[in-house]
Amino acid sequence: MTDYISAYSQSGQLFVPRLFQGFPEIKEALMSNKMQAAFMVAPMAIALRAQGVPVKIVYLGHRYGSAVVVRKDGPVKTFADLRGRMVAIPSRFSDERLILFKAAHDNGMDARALHMVEMAPPDVAGALAAGAIDAFSMGEPFPSQAEMAGFGRVLFHARQYWPDYISCVLVVRQDVIEHRPEAVQMLVDGIARSGLWLEDGARRQAHRVHAADFVGRYYYRQNPALLRWALTKPIDRVMYEPLSPRRRDFELIVRLMRETGVLDHDISFEEYVDTRFAEGASGMTPWRYEAGSTSAK
Amino acid sequence: MRKLLFGLVAWVSAVTAAHMALNVNWSVIMNDRLPLDKRKLNVAYIPVT
Repeated sequence: MTDYISAYSQSGQLFVPRLFQGFPEIKEALMSNKMQAAFMVAPMAIALRAQGVPVKIVYLGHRYGSAVVVRKDGPVKTFADLRGRMVAIPSRFSDERLILFKAAHDNGMDARALHMVEMAPPDVAGALAAGAIDAFSMGEPFPSQAEMAGFGRVLFHARQYWPDYISCVLVVRQDVIEHRPEAVQMLVDGIARSGLWLEDGARRQAHRVHAADFVGRYYYRQNPALLRWALTKPIDRVMYEPLSPRRRDFELIVRLMRETGVLDHDISFEEYVDTRFAEGASGMTPWRYEAGSTSAK
Repeated sequence: MRKLLFGLVAWVSAVTAAHMALNVNWSVIMNDRLPLDKRKLNVAYIPVT
């Protein structure tokens, strides 16, 4: 979204967006410096840093926007019904896995009673429709895809068990942070402005409908109607503010990663987050851009 | 023979031009040719929130 709107602005294109289909490929591209920055799930970013990969989280992509989905006509009616069933997650290093542990804990269950399998996000809705899995825990628009097609039902949204839930974060290579901080700041400023634009008071609904259209067509290569559903039903299904990385949110993720066996040692917030760019973007205002306009400010 | 050759060259040229216009991401190629400190950042994303 930032790329699309900024292309109409005076500063022009701020960065080069590159589409990937899975997190492991993003990880490799980041490590080999093919990509200088990436959106990835927060636990994966933390795990990379804990393994010594020189990257830092500088901003969030959004808040909420993940859900556990089951078959509409299936036997799973409550969380307890997931016991012994196959649940797809995007990665062992994902918040979508951690939310299952959190929900299990709150329901007095051991999440190890669930059979979790890793699956590429674009495959989960089809797998649920075909009966290959019993549920999936995934970010939007895949819960919306299952709902819209009529075979899926949201068992719960992440916010139900995890207030201020975060999933995707913006990760930047340490050498880029050190040598090109102005480029990182420009990127973060642009994302902050996009977030504010999507949450822009009375224009919120109209902006989200327009964003669904151009992001679906030109970036996600998905049906804009699907993104419209994900961004507006309800309107706070995915939120784009506040996007500054907060210590308590990440310390919770680290604690859950430690408890669930995907992180073997503690790591301090400062080691994996650099907050200076979020602080630099704190005075940003929404893009001044409307559908059909040929300029953005 | 010359007609056939001309047609073949025209067809290959047209397909090449269409391919370069539709399938090649020129902003990536041009960006990769710039000096390191002038390059825009390559930012990876996947079609999921």
